Amino acid sequence: MSIYDPSMIPKQMPQDGYLKDKLWLYVPLFAVVLSACAIILVLPYETVYVRDEVYLDAFLVTVSVCVAVFILGTLYNVLLWMHGKGLSGSPEGRLVDLFKRSVRFFLSRRFGRALSVFLKDALYLSRLKDRSVLRWLMHLLILGGFAVMFVLDLAVTISLDFLKYEPMIADDGWAKLWLRDFGFDLVGTMMLLGLLIAAVRRFVFRPKIVRTELPDAASILSLLAVVLGGFILEGIGIAGDIQGHQIGDEYSFMGYAFSLVTPESLGDYYDEAWLIHGVMSALLIAYIPFSKLFHMIATPIAIEADRMLPQREASP
Amino acid sequence: MRKLDISKLDVLALMRYDACTRCGECTATCPTGGEAQDVELVTPRGKIVRLREFYKAQYGLRAKLLGPRDIPEDQLNELASRAYECTICGQCTTVCPAHLDTIEMWENMREFLVANGLGPLPAHESIVKSIENYDNPWMQPRTQRSRWSKRIEKDVGIKDVLKERAEVLFFVGCTAAYDPNIKEMAVNSAKVLGAAKVDFGTLGNEEGCCGSTLLRTGLWKSGRNTALRNIERFEKAAPSMMVASCAGCYKTIRQDYPRIGKVNAKMVHITTFVNELVSTGKLKLGKRVEGTVTYHDPCHLGRHNLLYEEPRKILEAIPGLKLVEMERTREESRCCGAGGGVKTAFPDLAQKIATLRIEDAEKTGADILATSCPFCYQSFKAAIDAKGSRLKMVDLMELVAGAIDQT
Repeated sequence: MSIYDPSMIPKQMPQDGYLKDKLWLYVPLFAVVLSACAIILVLPYETVYVRDEVYLDAFLVTVSVCVAVFILGTLYNVLLWMHGKGLSGSPEGRLVDLFKRSVRFFLSRRFGRALSVFLKDALYLSRLKDRSVLRWLMHLLILGGFAVMFVLDLAVTISLDFLKYEPMIADDGWAKLWLRDFGFDLVGTMMLLGLLIAAVRRFVFRPKIVRTELPDAASILSLLAVVLGGFILEGIGIAGDIQGHQIGDEYSFMGYAFSLVTPESLGDYYDEAWLIHGVMSALLIAYIPFSKLFHMIATPIAIEADRMLPQREASP
Repeated sequence: MRKLDISKLDVLALMRYDACTRCGECTATCPTGGEAQDVELVTPRGKIVRLREFYKAQYGLRAKLLGPRDIPEDQLNELASRAYECTICGQCTTVCPAHLDTIEMWENMREFLVANGLGPLPAHESIVKSIENYDNPWMQPRTQRSRWSKRIEKDVGIKDVLKERAEVLFFVGCTAAYDPNIKEMAVNSAKVLGAAKVDFGTLGNEEGCCGSTLLRTGLWKSGRNTALRNIERFEKAAPSMMVASCAGCYKTIRQDYPRIGKVNAKMVHITTFVNELVSTGKLKLGKRVEGTVTYHDPCHLGRHNLLYEEPRKILEAIPGLKLVEMERTREESRCCGAGGGVKTAFPDLAQKIATLRIEDAEKTGADILATSCPFCYQSFKAAIDAKGSRLKMVDLMELVAGAIDQT
């Protein structure tokens, strides 16, 4: 095939065997992962309204394992990048060096520019907007919904389990009604709309540029299952008058809509439904580094790297 | 089992492979994969997905736990062959919503293919050997390089910069120097510089290939050696500025050479230089050139170097000439099909792509198609002849030379 066949094949291929050789890096790495899992396990979760604690424990174990898989999978992917040329040292050494540089960068004056690049190109998707408003809207709804839900989830967990913020705990508290009920439903609806547009476009209209293989279908369907699962769970909670779903149902507008078509008797299976939704969400987190969804992490980093690092001269 | 060496892939490239969202925006406008033959593996998404699949099979987490998977040779060869069907036009860079620098990715992918014994293609062999042996891709003797200038040397006043210092070094490029159909490009460029009383010269027979073909086909080591030889000549000549009429040479010297060695003089394309001469009144374009012209943006000038306005300003400054734009223009411009070694390895594909662009030009109603790149010129000229189009193919400097007011 090639004119350089035998002679150009390098004699020395990159060597593997990190685990046995690089304990200095992997011991602290596993310590970080275990700490993340420990934090998840030791939180009090006083405000999780499952009737049987076994369901909560099963969920916590699942989510700890899934978070560990997510962190390790993400780090493994990033380590794989470090096998490439352009940096010196071993892949692990490069990663550590890059981490130090990133910290320095975030503390430098260039951070402002990096932030604007992130907001404009990675979050707002400026270029996609110019090419197709529908696809831009679709992606913005999914990405925006996902990002806000992540932030909201973090804020709610901290205010509930660390700060014990009363308006977030009380059934009629403003934060409970507007953030936990309305806020989550709003961002969930954004995601649902975006995902429905994506699903209809991909599976019904099938434009020529779209190519659907297992990773593409799995990404959309798994996200759709988790988002829809959340609304169904809320509908069961409201229909079954479960604790936490007894006051201000109209704030959870999507859950309320689902409750109208949910039999009250399903409330008996609320714990099971809660566990299924929780496990599905946890599995989705674990799936990210091994799926197309990893672009959520890689794309913003690549955009930042391309826009912030010195490149070949472009403009004349 | 052949284990792929991914150490030749850039850290940034590996990152970009993961950053690709598989949206397919690039597939619709890809001149080779999408438009000319509709083959997924030639499209940017196709190449990314396949290469990523291959190296993940050998380096991914699953490979780490269960052992690397063998990639069948025929699949590797298919990827390599398809990767060389790309003209590296950069259309995918323009449209990618993830802002991936695909131009860098494809050049780096070829470097990876070469390092793994999968590239370049046998069709590139003669060109590569010619550059290595003759310092030009056309298998022509070095002694013939400056032959194009013989009939105008004295009238125009072209210096040999290795013997006599000149302010400006005109880097002619192999195609304009050797191809009898293209040499008017060099002649007209020199006439224009001479008419503006620019103190300029060339490296004569000592000028070497810029190495663009080597670098574009992934032969970084050979390309680097070629570049270093030229850089040494530049140092000896010590011009204040260098001007190239070839878009490929311009890109290579301006973007690749600084990564290889130190280039002291500023590199500009002839369109930038001439536009400056016209706008400052040093070059008077007084003669009328009748006709309607449409301008094709060469990829190496446009998307690779963001040089869009200067050629148009020059055309607008020529009296009698009416400039009309094609539907796809500037960063959306279609490729001519010749770049990235495609014309050498896949001439039919190159012609098919060139014909699409000729059709774009015909739709404007123009009678002249102008460009500023010898490869685009060659490609379009062949397509115009094959198609029997009424378009007249010209180099931009030919129009400028025709409009020069000598009075």
